[in-house]
Amino acid sequence: MQNNSLSEVPHVVAAERMGGVPRIELRGAEKCFSTRGSEVQALAKIDLTVRPQEFLALVGPSGCGKTTVLNLVAGLLSPTSGQVLYNGAPVTGLNRSVGYITQKDTVLPWRTVESNVGIALELHCRNVPASERRDRVARMIELVGLKGFEKHFPAELSGGMRRRVALARTLIYEPETLLMDEPFGALDAQLKLLMQDQLQKLTHMAKITVIFVTHDLSEAIALGDRVAVFSPRPGSIRTMRKVDIPRPRDIFNVRFSDGFSRLHEELWNELKDGIAYGTNV
Amino acid sequence: MSATLQADAATAAMPQRNSRLWKTPAVLTVLRLLIVAVVLVSWEFSSDRIISKFWVSSPTAVFAVFQLWVIDGSLWIHLGATLQAIVIGYVIGCASGILLGLLLGFLPRVQRIFVPFFSAFYALPKIALAPLFVIILGIGIESKICLVAVTVFFLLLFATMDGMRDIDEDVVESLEIMGATRTEIATKLVMPAAKPWIFTGMRLSVRYAMTAAILGEVIAANRGIGFLIEYNSGMFNAAGVFAAVALLVLFGVAVTEFLTRFERGSAVEKLPF
Amino acid sequence: MRPHSTRVLLAWQAVVFVLMLGVWELGSHLTDPTWTSRPTLVAVRLFELFKGEIYKHLAVTIGEIAMGLVLGGVLGSIGGLWLGNAKYLGTLLRPIVVTLYNVPLVTLAPLFIVWFGFGMQSKVVLVAIAVFFVVFFNAFSGAQKVDEDILESMRLMGATRYEIFVKVVFPASMAWIVAGFKIAFPYSLMAATTGEMLAARDGLGSLLAKSAARFDMTGVYTILLVLMVIGMLMADFAVRSENYLLRWRNAKQ
Repeated sequence: MQNNSLSEVPHVVAAERMGGVPRIELRGAEKCFSTRGSEVQALAKIDLTVRPQEFLALVGPSGCGKTTVLNLVAGLLSPTSGQVLYNGAPVTGLNRSVGYITQKDTVLPWRTVESNVGIALELHCRNVPASERRDRVARMIELVGLKGFEKHFPAELSGGMRRRVALARTLIYEPETLLMDEPFGALDAQLKLLMQDQLQKLTHMAKITVIFVTHDLSEAIALGDRVAVFSPRPGSIRTMRKVDIPRPRDIFNVRFSDGFSRLHEELWNELKDGIAYGTNV
Repeated sequence: MSATLQADAATAAMPQRNSRLWKTPAVLTVLRLLIVAVVLVSWEFSSDRIISKFWVSSPTAVFAVFQLWVIDGSLWIHLGATLQAIVIGYVIGCASGILLGLLLGFLPRVQRIFVPFFSAFYALPKIALAPLFVIILGIGIESKICLVAVTVFFLLLFATMDGMRDIDEDVVESLEIMGATRTEIATKLVMPAAKPWIFTGMRLSVRYAMTAAILGEVIAANRGIGFLIEYNSGMFNAAGVFAAVALLVLFGVAVTEFLTRFERGSAVEKLPF
Repeated sequence: MRPHSTRVLLAWQAVVFVLMLGVWELGSHLTDPTWTSRPTLVAVRLFELFKGEIYKHLAVTIGEIAMGLVLGGVLGSIGGLWLGNAKYLGTLLRPIVVTLYNVPLVTLAPLFIVWFGFGMQSKVVLVAIAVFFVVFFNAFSGAQKVDEDILESMRLMGATRYEIFVKVVFPASMAWIVAGFKIAFPYSLMAATTGEMLAARDGLGSLLAKSAARFDMTGVYTILLVLMVIGMLMADFAVRSENYLLRWRNAKQ
C-alpha cells in the first residue's frame, strides 16, 4: 500500500504557511465496507488538506474511492478510522455547508426546470423572498444555457440538460464548499468547455471551495489549483501536483500552454501506472 | 448508488450497535404478533364492558363458533363452495378471455370495432349482474361461477389484447424480411410477447375472482363464506359474523401465499413509472 | 390515423350496435319477453325513470360514492404517506397492511349494514373503507419507495423533515396514489351498489334489487344500463385526472 504522506508535506506546509484553518481535512481517513462477509477497503488511510477557496481536482479510474472521499466530506458516510474535519471540526451527520452534485441525477421529476432550480431557495433555512428567488433562478438558468426551457419537465430534457439543471440548483445558493462528481461527463465537448468556464468564474467570484472528481485529466488540470491522482485497490492518492497556471484562466485556450502539456504528460503516466499497478495485484 | 445504501452494508461508526437488533426478522415478527395480541386482548376486554357484545362479540365467542364449524364440518362445506366457485369460474373466465383475446389480437380491425363495447361492459360493476344471474341460474353455485367467470373474462381479454399489441413494429418487419410467414410471426413473436401480460392478468384476476365469488354469495346464496357473513348478519349473530370474517381473512392470506409461491414472488404491484 | 379510417370505424361500430339491438329486439319476439325484455321496452322505461324518479336514486348513489371516495381517499393518502415515511413503523406494520389489502373488505357489507343501519351512512362507510385500504396501500408503497438519493440531496441542501415530506415524499408518491384512485373508482361504485342491493331505501342498487325481486327484467336491464354509463363516466374522469396530475411523467423528450 502506498504511503502518501511524503507527497502531502508541501501542502500541509502550505496550509500552515497560509495560516488559519483548512476548509477540509482528512487525517488518516479510511473507509471499509463489509459486503456478504468480506471486507472491502474502499479508501485506504489517506491524508488530504483543502484550503479555503481552493479548487481541488481528483482524477482516477472508477473504484478508487474518489466518490467515497466526497461522501465522507458531505457527512453521508463516516470513516471507519481516522478523521474527517470541516473548518476544523469533525464532520458528524450531514454537512449542510456543502453542495453536492452527484453522479446520479437527483432532479425532481415532477417539477419544471425553473421550479427545480429554485428549490434550495424555497427552503426555510435560507429565507429568500419569492421575487428575489425568481431573479436568481432566471440568471442561473441563463448561466447554464437552459434559457427557454424554464417550463419544461425533466422527462423532456436530454441527460446533459438534466445535469445542467442539477448544477444550476446547487450553484444557486452558493454553498461554502462544492463537491462535484463528474458533473460534465455527459456533455458534448463545446458545452463542456463553456460549463467549465462558467464554473471557474462563479466559484472564484463567490469564493467557493471545490472538490471536483473527474475521469478527464485535461479537465482536472484546466480547472484545478491542485490535482490528486488516485489509484485503485485500495483507493489512495498516488500523486498530488500543484497546477502552476495563473488565474484567471482562459479555459478555451489553456490546454495549448506549455505548462499544461508537461503536467498532463507527467500525470498521465502516473495515471497509467496506477491503473496497471491496481490490476496486477 | 446512494451513500446511505453504501452505509447500510458498512458497519458504520455513527448509529449504535443496538439499533441493528430492532431490525432483525425475529424481533420484527415478535413485535407484529404482539400487536395482534394487543388488539385481540383489548377487543376481548371491551366486549360487554365498553361496547355491547351484540355489536362486536368477543374473541372467545368468535373462536367458539369457529371451533363449532370445524367440528360439525360446516366450515369445509362453505369453504369448499367458495373455493369451487372461484376455481371453476376462474378457469372458464381465463380460457374464454385468453381465447377471445388471441382471436381478436389476430384480427386487429375487428378488435378496434368491438373494443368500445367491451370497455362499456367492463365499466359496469359486475356485482350488479348478480341478481340477473340468480334469476337465470338460481341461488346455487352456478350463478357464482358465472359471476366469477364474467369478471375474470374481461380482465384476461384486455390483458391478452394489450399483450399482443405490445410488439415493436420494427421487429415484425425484420422478421418479415427474413422470410417468416404470418403464422411464424404469430407463434414466434406475438404469442411469446403476450405471455407475460397474460400471466400478470392471471395473477391479478385471482383477487378479483375471490371478491366476485364471495360478494355473489353475500347477495344471494345458500353456501359459502359470503353466505356465512350475510346469514349471520341477518341473524344478528355477531360472533358468527366475525367467525366468518376470520375465515375470510385466513382464506385471503392463504390465497396470497399460494400465489406468491406459485409465481417467483416478484412485487405484487407493478411500478407506476 | 387518417380521419377517413376513423369515420369508417365509427360507421362499423354503429352497424354492430344497431345489429346487436336488432337481434335482441327480434329475438325477444320469438321467446317470452318477460324474461328477455327488449330494447324498445328498456328505452321506454328509461324515459319514464328520467321523467322524475331516477334523480333521487342517482343522487343517493353518487352521493355515497363521492363521500366515500373523499373520506377514504383523503384518510388513505395521508395515513399511507405518513406510515410509509416513518421508516421503522412502516417496515414493522407492512405485512399487516398487505394482509388487510388482500382481504376483500367489501364483502363485509352486511356487517356494516347491521352496524350503521339502512340509510346512506352504512354505504358511505363501506365505500370509504374499500377506498381507504386501496389508497392507503398505494400511498404507503409510494412513500416507502421514494428515491433515497433524492432524499439525501434534499437533506444536504438543508431541507427539514417537514419540507422533505411536503416537497418530495408527497409529490413522489402521487403516481402511486393516483394508481390507487384508479383502482378505487370502480371499487367504490361496486361497494355502493352492493350495499344498496343488500339493504337500502334509495339508490340504484336498491332499485336493481327491487326489480329483480319482482322479476321485472326490463327494470333490471334499464338499471344495468344506467350503472354502465356511470361506470364509464367515472373511468373517463379517472383517466383524464391521471393525465393531468401526472403530466410530468408522460412528457417525452
